[in-house]
Amino acid sequence: MFDPGRPLSGIRVADLTMIWAGPYGAKILADQGAEVIKIESPRAWDNIRTLLPPPVAPGEHWWNTNFYFHEYSRNKKSLSLDLASDEGKAVFSRLLAHCDVVIENYRTDVMDNLGLSYEWLREQREDIIVVGMAGFGKTGPEQDAVGYGPIIEMMSGMTSTSGYGDDGVPYKSGISYGDPIAGICAAAAVATALIQRKRTGKGQYIDLAQREVMSTLLGEFYMDWSMNRRLPEHMGTGHDWMSPHNVYPCAGDDDWIAICVRTDGEWEALKRAMGAPQWAERAEFSDQILRWEHRIELDELVAAWTSERSKTDAFAALHAERVPASPVWKMLEVLRDPHLQARGFYEPIRHPEVGIWVAHGWLWRTHGGDPCIVGPAPDFGQHNAEILGGLLGIPQAEQAALETAGVIASRPEGIPLASEMPATPSLI
Amino acid sequence: MSEQQQGQDEQQPMDRPFDGIRVLELAEGISGPYASRWLAALGADVVKVERTTGDPSRAFGPWPNDLPSDETSGLFLYLNGDKRSVTLNLETSDGREILRELAQSAEIVIESFDPGYLASHHLGYSELSAGNDALVMISITPFGQTGPNANLPATELTLYAASGQMWLTGHPERHPLKNGGSQPSYQAGLNAFAAITGAYYGAVMHGQGSYIDLSVQETYAGMAEAFHTRASQLGIEAQRSGNNLNALWGVYEVADGYGGICALPRNYPAFAQAVGLEELQDERFSDPGQRLLNNDELMAIMYSWFAGQTRQGLLELGIEHRVPFGFVATVEDLTNSEHLQSRDFFATLDHADAGSLTYPGRLWLSSVHDWKMGRAPRLGEHNMEVIHGELGYEREDLVRLRELDAI
Repeated sequence: MFDPGRPLSGIRVADLTMIWAGPYGAKILADQGAEVIKIESPRAWDNIRTLLPPPVAPGEHWWNTNFYFHEYSRNKKSLSLDLASDEGKAVFSRLLAHCDVVIENYRTDVMDNLGLSYEWLREQREDIIVVGMAGFGKTGPEQDAVGYGPIIEMMSGMTSTSGYGDDGVPYKSGISYGDPIAGICAAAAVATALIQRKRTGKGQYIDLAQREVMSTLLGEFYMDWSMNRRLPEHMGTGHDWMSPHNVYPCAGDDDWIAICVRTDGEWEALKRAMGAPQWAERAEFSDQILRWEHRIELDELVAAWTSERSKTDAFAALHAERVPASPVWKMLEVLRDPHLQARGFYEPIRHPEVGIWVAHGWLWRTHGGDPCIVGPAPDFGQHNAEILGGLLGIPQAEQAALETAGVIASRPEGIPLASEMPATPSLI
Repeated sequence: MSEQQQGQDEQQPMDRPFDGIRVLELAEGISGPYASRWLAALGADVVKVERTTGDPSRAFGPWPNDLPSDETSGLFLYLNGDKRSVTLNLETSDGREILRELAQSAEIVIESFDPGYLASHHLGYSELSAGNDALVMISITPFGQTGPNANLPATELTLYAASGQMWLTGHPERHPLKNGGSQPSYQAGLNAFAAITGAYYGAVMHGQGSYIDLSVQETYAGMAEAFHTRASQLGIEAQRSGNNLNALWGVYEVADGYGGICALPRNYPAFAQAVGLEELQDERFSDPGQRLLNNDELMAIMYSWFAGQTRQGLLELGIEHRVPFGFVATVEDLTNSEHLQSRDFFATLDHADAGSLTYPGRLWLSSVHDWKMGRAPRLGEHNMEVIHGELGYEREDLVRLRELDAI
């Protein structure tokens, strides 16, 4: 029976993506019910498997266990296959006949260098949908530029808009923001192409430049430039007409709460939440324009109130009066946010070598849906037999020959077990 | 097929994936309009239902020459291109009835009212999808439809804080920082676009629609990258890392602005060659483990090296050596970028009131379809066309509806 929460069930995706942006997109396809087959070479596996060596990655088979890899590849299957070899390519050709989508986020030239051009892919499956996610796109003078999320963010214009405002320094996001943004868009591109295939019977090639997707999130800044030749000022955590509008220190170590007041009604609510202090009745705080003009002093007074309480106590008082506010949740705290818990946002993920931890579930939830996480990220080559034997009908002897030739493998080549290696510092 | 017929076919407009699909937009602000902006560009007929005073984003700048007007808000124009505007007052029974009629011909409904508002007006999914089983409807709200914060008002700043993103952003010795602009709303809009396209594909294939509850907080918390799963798997809290996670991952000042590098261990050899400093070949930097132990020293080298570079020079050096170098570009740089222009990223559109403006004009390039770009509608511009022309109300009805404050 059709499950509306998994609208892409029945779709099979050959996932050649690596690291972040592509895997995030393929994860969304997998969450939506597509059968996503993650294809990695025994000699060129997804680097994210081994970016965090033991002891950060637990277990003997540490290339299968770290949280970073699982964050992007839960609900997927793993096929190890060397696409640079003729034998590997022959297997891939047979697999493509069963695939609807190929998705990759290699450097611009890699697919062609591997002999996996769109033309070749189409020869194997005429209505194939191919999504290429090179950072800067497949054409144009900068097509050979390379970059991970923060470079994409810088080159998209995003970083130029962020900063404290008092030092002129632009600030990047705390995450590699360019990656998930490109990934979400790639998932949308796949669904859009499937809709069009249903209408026309034809596949297509999609050239999705990560930098361009991120740049569409800056509409008002593009408009201000186009209209007034003006570039954005760094606003810090302030606002150009709201006050109070800031993060305020709370009792505790590096604890903060964000509070915003948009209307006179919310100002009255804030006053009630703070216990109706005398100072709030002063004439210079009596309307929105005056509050904004006196925002520095007002921020100090609000901060004096927040500093005396924990961020959860301050939030409880503000919540009761419906003032827009939120604690600045740390990572360990957001996992326990009562609201997210009530909605079941984080779901358990289980792996035999790790045990149980939680990861985010549905990014959006369909009414009546089951849990999002069906299984952890796959062990390297975990589904080789299922896909080669079951789906493609390749006899066991032939599979064994492929393994002997190093075309498939159950372990990345040259990677020692955890117990065989010295501890090394982790990248993060 | 004759040659002449073939010639005619070639002149046909390209088939777009959402041609002939009707989207009913009951969403205001950024998230919902951003999602349907792209559905419109992909061919959908987006009927934007506005309150009689208009989408509040009409009252947000920028405006040409800083002259505020309901018809020329840059934010509104960007987010609402190619849509048709109909005004409806849903507090009137006539307004609600017209909405129900519009929903009968819609494949997709996007709404952003407070949780429970539509249901309390008998306009929830069960009512709007009655007789229209394949209807896909999405609700986009700050915290979703359920849970203790569902009805808590929110702003970009509070959502940035609630999602955990804010904790990660900014200098470790200063307060947490917010990204520029309205990132919580925009990223939620992009997620909504993905949710709608996926759900609509399911509806096309199976004839069964769905109702989707999208929370801005959740979509944003879902991109906390390694940091929340590290917390959950290993119990380790993350710290703000400012502009530099480590010496080879961050932003540096250059001669004419700011540049950056993001190198993973495997990029190091190419990086060292591109920079060309002999000391980078030392084992204390070239060995991945030792490099992290000698991070401060490497960072000092990087500060002084970057100071002698230019933005464009860095990009070119990165292209030559395949090293992830880049620079902090502004929207001015991007609007003038030869690269982006060569890829037709921008669309320049005339608007009677706002003049000729250059917009980001698409998300990706497809081998089989283009992106339609048209101007945003004036408030209620299509009342006559839709309510009279398509729903069959008489002209006198429109007069009555206006007088009853229904449109």
